[in-house]
Amino acid sequence: MDHGYLENVAQENGLVNVSPYVKLAVGLGAILLSLVSPNWITPLFLTLTLGGAILLLARIDPGLYARLLLAPLSFAVFSVTAVILVTGGGEVFWAWQPVPGVALSVTSRSVLQGMLVFSRMLGGMSALFFIALTTPLTELFMVMRQCRFPTTLLNLAMMVYRSIFILADQVDQVMSAQRMRLGYSSPREAVQSFGMLCGAAFIASWEAGEDLLRAMDARCYAGRFAMLSESQPVEAGPLAAATAYLLVGSGLLLATLPGALSWGGV
Amino acid sequence: MSRIILEARDVRYRYPGGVHAIRGISFHVRRGEKVALVGPNGAGKSTLLLMFNGMLRPDAGTLLFDNQPLRYDAASLRELRRRVGFVFQHPDRQIIAPTVYQDVAFGPVNLGFGTDRVRQVVRDALRNVGLAGFERRPPHQLSAGEKKRVAIAGVLAMDPDLLVLDEPTSSLDPAGSEDTMELLEELHQAGKTIIISTHDVELAYPWADRAILLRQGEILQEDIPEVAFGDPDLVRRARLSVPVLLELYQELARRGLPLPEKRPKTALDMIHLIDQAFSRGARTGTCGTIHVCDVDSTGPEALSRWLSSRDGLWIGAMGTRAKQRAAEEQIAVDFTYGVIDKCLLRALGGESSLILTAGGMVQRVEVRVSAFAEEWGTPIPVEEVKGP
Repeated sequence: MDHGYLENVAQENGLVNVSPYVKLAVGLGAILLSLVSPNWITPLFLTLTLGGAILLLARIDPGLYARLLLAPLSFAVFSVTAVILVTGGGEVFWAWQPVPGVALSVTSRSVLQGMLVFSRMLGGMSALFFIALTTPLTELFMVMRQCRFPTTLLNLAMMVYRSIFILADQVDQVMSAQRMRLGYSSPREAVQSFGMLCGAAFIASWEAGEDLLRAMDARCYAGRFAMLSESQPVEAGPLAAATAYLLVGSGLLLATLPGALSWGGV
Repeated sequence: MSRIILEARDVRYRYPGGVHAIRGISFHVRRGEKVALVGPNGAGKSTLLLMFNGMLRPDAGTLLFDNQPLRYDAASLRELRRRVGFVFQHPDRQIIAPTVYQDVAFGPVNLGFGTDRVRQVVRDALRNVGLAGFERRPPHQLSAGEKKRVAIAGVLAMDPDLLVLDEPTSSLDPAGSEDTMELLEELHQAGKTIIISTHDVELAYPWADRAILLRQGEILQEDIPEVAFGDPDLVRRARLSVPVLLELYQELARRGLPLPEKRPKTALDMIHLIDQAFSRGARTGTCGTIHVCDVDSTGPEALSRWLSSRDGLWIGAMGTRAKQRAAEEQIAVDFTYGVIDKCLLRALGGESSLILTAGGMVQRVEVRVSAFAEEWGTPIPVEEVKGP
């Protein structure tokens, strides 16, 4: 039943009872701070603190969080290397011109630039993970409704959400059935099996759609979709903590501004 | 006799592919009845059920709800579907919304109830099925039994007169099945008429007031379960099996034992019948007492005080609220289903018991015990536990 979906992790995280607005404010605020910060200090601070919050407050399994971070990190390392090699300025540490017109160099400015990009990425990623791991979609639906998200799209999104888990289950079953009968033993087999899997998934989703219509009809569907009666209330404690956190982040950003200038930040 | 709520007159239905699913079926269901449609796979049970709320329209014949022929315009169907609650076989195909609350609220919201009223009916419905506190949970994280309950709550929230359940216990484990049947019993006590389809004769036999045996789109037999399931030939033709208790009774009768006319429906009936057949029924003054406690009107302290003053009691919890209370107060419960019968069995053996229950179910205990006394001539004392 539990496929290790992030959604399931979010449903059971330690901050699930905190208002989604507070969590969204922290997450979005952190992304914004990371973006406007001219140096790497504030994003790094946000990365560490949000990581701490994810592990200690939301009580997410550290192994899971590490695995989650790994995927974007590898991407980040590549792109930051490129940034460092391609940009220039300041003291040159290393340079190489493999073909005329293409110059690769590592300079003091490019290193700073690379660190800034890297830490911004980390900060933004941590903030996104913070939202994803602490705010289940079921809560976000309500926020979307309250923010006047178009009703039709929202209703569709909710039905899709509900169907994903049912379809994923069916795909899982078909795939196990294929594996048990050695469906993926050779590349040729694998292509065939995968084709059949897609076919089965298509038919299953078609049927699920018809079932959904029937189920809605049987309960007098008239174009309306219920919402959770109320969101988790915004409580004083979490609100104060979130405000204080964002203030500290902004303060750090302001305090490091002159320093950043003297270090030649961009 | 109470009023007829649902009636079918020579109903026929053919699937677009050309298969005759229903070949001329007529029957009626009275208000407050518990009816089981029993038949093998492909007998047309689900097809027939889907006609009751207008999901399928018969090719010929008439269906009447509350003595009015069904009409198939949008407004009439809406009203019909409000009054005929349909619970699908697979809860995953019925649950639409991303959270339990939203799903149970689906019907009421579409019926145009106001926010406060929706909140109220959802809370009541979830409480009735024992899922209070599950509001924010997404359905894919629930167990099969819990999903079934959500599906039932979603229908209950529209306050239907007639509940139609397609294979209510398929894909549930035995405890989940017993829970679901108990829940249906509770709903029946609360005044709902209930129709289920099943191929589980052991389930239908003790539960139903009336059983309708279906085979290849036709009614094979329609009677009280003792009769409907009592004819081995009919049962074989319907690809079913004779309920074990009924078979035992028939075998005992074949051996020439003096058995009463009334066939046993439960293990309790069977034991009593055997006791009497072997002349061990002459028991005087040794029966245990059945204590009944209404958990809604008895506080935790009064209950624990009462319990601490007694030893060696068998304890049964009947109904979802009682089970919740027992769990909350960490009362070790011996019976969670078939509670009254199990306590009667203990009482016959001279042991006393306590039944935790709530609301109208208290009366049900008294009714069942006095019915038992009348049927079998063995009065068993029932005492109510009272306390603030």
